[in-house]
Amino acid sequence: MRRLTAFLLCCCLAAVARAGTDDALLRTVLDGLARHPQVRAEFVQTRSSPALAQPQVSRGRLLFVLGRGMLWQVESPYRETLALTGERTARLDAQGRAQPVRGERGVGQVSQMLQSMLAGRPDEVLRQFEVAASGSPARWSLRFVPRQARMARVLGAIVLDGGDYLDGIRIEMQDGAATDIRFSGTREAGGLSALEARALGGS
Amino acid sequence: MSRRGLHLRAAWFAAATVLVALLGAWLLFGRGGSPLQTDLLAMLPATERHPLAEQAVQRLAHANGDRMVLLVENADDARAKAAARALGKALAGDKAFASVLAELPAFDLAQFVAPYLAHRFWLLGDDDRAALAQPGYDPAQALARHLNEPFVAGVGVPLADDPFGWLQHWLEQQPWSRSPLLPEDDLLVAHQTDPAGGERTLVLVTAELAGSAYDDAVQRRALAALARAEQAMQHDDPGTTLLRTGAVFYAAAARAGAERDVHLVGWISTGGIALLLLWAFRSPGPLLLAFLSTAVGVAAATTATLLVFGQIHLLTLVFGAALLGEAVDYSIQYLAARANAGARWEPLAGLRQVRPALLLALATSLLGYALLGLVPFPALRQMAVFAMAGMLAACLSVFGLLPALLARPARPVAPSLVRLALALQRAVARLGKGRRGLALLLALVLLAAPGWWLLRHDDDVHLLIAQPPALLAQERAIRDATGLGNGSQFYLVQGASAEQVLQREEALAQRLQALVRDGRLHDWLGLARMAPSQARQRADHALLAPLFADPARLRKMLTDAGLRADAAAAYAAAWPGAPLKFEDWLATPAATPFRYLWMGCGAHGCASLVLPQGQDDVRVLAAAADGLAGVSLVDKPASVSALFGRYRGYASVWLLAAVLLIAPVFGWRYGWRRMPRVLAPPVLGIGLALAALGYLGQPLTLFHWMALMLVLGVGANYAVFLHEGEPHAAHRPGAMYASVLLSAVTALLSFGLLALSSMPALRGFGLTLLLGIGGTALLVPASRPVPADTAP
Repeated sequence: MRRLTAFLLCCCLAAVARAGTDDALLRTVLDGLARHPQVRAEFVQTRSSPALAQPQVSRGRLLFVLGRGMLWQVESPYRETLALTGERTARLDAQGRAQPVRGERGVGQVSQMLQSMLAGRPDEVLRQFEVAASGSPARWSLRFVPRQARMARVLGAIVLDGGDYLDGIRIEMQDGAATDIRFSGTREAGGLSALEARALGGS
Repeated sequence: MSRRGLHLRAAWFAAATVLVALLGAWLLFGRGGSPLQTDLLAMLPATERHPLAEQAVQRLAHANGDRMVLLVENADDARAKAAARALGKALAGDKAFASVLAELPAFDLAQFVAPYLAHRFWLLGDDDRAALAQPGYDPAQALARHLNEPFVAGVGVPLADDPFGWLQHWLEQQPWSRSPLLPEDDLLVAHQTDPAGGERTLVLVTAELAGSAYDDAVQRRALAALARAEQAMQHDDPGTTLLRTGAVFYAAAARAGAERDVHLVGWISTGGIALLLLWAFRSPGPLLLAFLSTAVGVAAATTATLLVFGQIHLLTLVFGAALLGEAVDYSIQYLAARANAGARWEPLAGLRQVRPALLLALATSLLGYALLGLVPFPALRQMAVFAMAGMLAACLSVFGLLPALLARPARPVAPSLVRLALALQRAVARLGKGRRGLALLLALVLLAAPGWWLLRHDDDVHLLIAQPPALLAQERAIRDATGLGNGSQFYLVQGASAEQVLQREEALAQRLQALVRDGRLHDWLGLARMAPSQARQRADHALLAPLFADPARLRKMLTDAGLRADAAAAYAAAWPGAPLKFEDWLATPAATPFRYLWMGCGAHGCASLVLPQGQDDVRVLAAAADGLAGVSLVDKPASVSALFGRYRGYASVWLLAAVLLIAPVFGWRYGWRRMPRVLAPPVLGIGLALAALGYLGQPLTLFHWMALMLVLGVGANYAVFLHEGEPHAAHRPGAMYASVLLSAVTALLSFGLLALSSMPALRGFGLTLLLGIGGTALLVPASRPVPADTAP
């Protein structure tokens, strides 16, 4: 549950780290993504599920900072900012104060996984997933399939696609649910505001 | 009594001894299983006011006690996992283990979650409870948030069954979702980054022992199996290390340490005493008789201990090895009397001559050990029984057995020894004469005063329990990696009913949650978190009730948010469900790993345990329980330490009282003017031993004080031996002091060797006796006039 989120998160981050696999395309892709350590983008997340009559769509902005984590800022259908950092997951209130979100415990682990990843060792992700790359450096797609039977029973696959930047993430669950996240307007982040820097931790 | 009478008495005594020895042998070896006790906990006194707390300590020790917790560690992930699997297989194939858990059984998330669905409207996570209680709570927004969670939503609990995510949040709070160990490749795995930045994989393997961790046979078999498996593991998967913890390792280490001590103290002191007696009596006969008398004492002591306690503790055994040196004193006195009598030796007359001294000495020893037995420490009681039985039997053997075996006169005590004793006696007696004696006293006091000033004390329980640092380090590493609690501090929550216990746990949990928020506690493990009280469930249910009061509105809210109409209707219709009953939950397989936390209900009401994790500062933990009804922090090490401290205080008072009691006895027997001189050597011996401990920087413990009690008893004996014996040995100046020195050196040899023991308590005990008895034996001649120069 929470851990799966952690895996998925790592998976996304792994994509921007330098991986140690033989696949030339995969390496090119990861090298290319790693050239953008601070990125801003707008996102649209579409979730479909057998339980839902129509897909859920949420929109907002994303700030990703290599080595720190990300700010997931939902603007519609409600406003909420989540800070997903190595140490913890927190909800930011209007004043930028962080309220820790449940599952404080698993975060130490997420943090460790992230740190190893960002130190150039996406081992954790490669241990958990088979990775297949397709396309060209200008238009690529990476498909992560869980190795662990336990997880494969729940999670079908995670697909990342993009060109110069990461353009989308698709998460397919075994129960027929799927989450599609598309990024647009991706650009170098430039400097962080004081609030952003604080939310992502001062490390 | 005639010669025949003597022989008859000896025959009776020998027969009785053989019977006692046979009974002892049967108790030791005839009943299957070793009666040797290695449980460290068994040595500690009952400290908790509530019997339930004492039970809880035992329960926790055994929940973690009768199993090995192993972590297989390797920098290479695949190697670590392969090694763990191989280790699991190797151990599972051995009869030493009842069960081994390495590879997890097949496990289905959906099956795990299903039982909770019926109770989903009664269980709320802490955050949701707080949010729902807010006046401005907007359920529609909570719904939208859950449906739009980044990346994934509704894993484990399907969205249709839990659109608001409440059950999922509650499940995430459960201990199995919070463990740092994750199932990976069907193993429980943690990944750690070492300081150098390299990643290491740790895999958990647990093995349940096929018996008690304190059972000798189980211990040996399990450790041998583990050693074999470890060797194979290192051969097949090089670079793999094995971290281990469990009572079995501590018990084995304690046993090994004690065995080493018994060998060291037993053999060296036996050898030393043998050489000394050979030199002193110049014939092997007396040596054999002295050992015979000691052996009688040891046989009686062991049998009595086994009869009273059913088993014999390691500590008793080590202490018993040292007791040899004191038990041999009685026969030495008798043998010395024979040697001094020369050709005029008559066994019965000799016995009459030493009788007052022996009985006085025996009485002081028995009194000393009886007082030791009054201290409510199982370990000390056992030592006291062992010592009392041993001393009594050794002394009786001098009366019953030895006279028949010592009919013929013997050669006098070695002249070299007598000359040495005489020279020493003269020098000390001269120094202690008249004004010079006062000056000597003053000088000694001045010399000792800074040492007394430097004295500190220490009541740490680890004096009694010396745990190998390597094992402690591994235990710490395992605790860090697995999140297991330390097991020595926990909360005992009591109530009239299970419901009240759970409610009280919840009150405690509120305090603990605050500590976690402040970063002062890592986490805690408690039953109320997994099966909340009915009151809490009713309250949670009541928080949700307004939402479900109007099913049509709820259905609309759900369909507006995007949920399918049939799913919305099914969700609304599932209300109200039923609360989770504690007894039902306790019977589920999910509760199995946590069932030991429930103490059950009995005459004292019901009780449960709450284990705090990641905070070793007792003050913080105690503050959390402060003022909560039915909640108490049980801290066994601290309780034992406090008890040590209290008895250390009593012991110092007792010592003073004993000196004040002996004074009039000596005054009556030796005259009031001579009394201070007779009493001075043991008192000075104690004072100088204390000063030396101060200079050595040894903090005083209860065990030092107990040793000082013995110094007083034994030191007074030496004064008595010298005063009672000197008139009978006037024709051989120095001979009586030579026998006192013999007694002292044998005591020093055995007790002094305890100073090399692996157990800190016995080390302090031995060192104190070494210093105290040594000092007293040297000072004793000062209590008598200078012996005449006319040697025959």
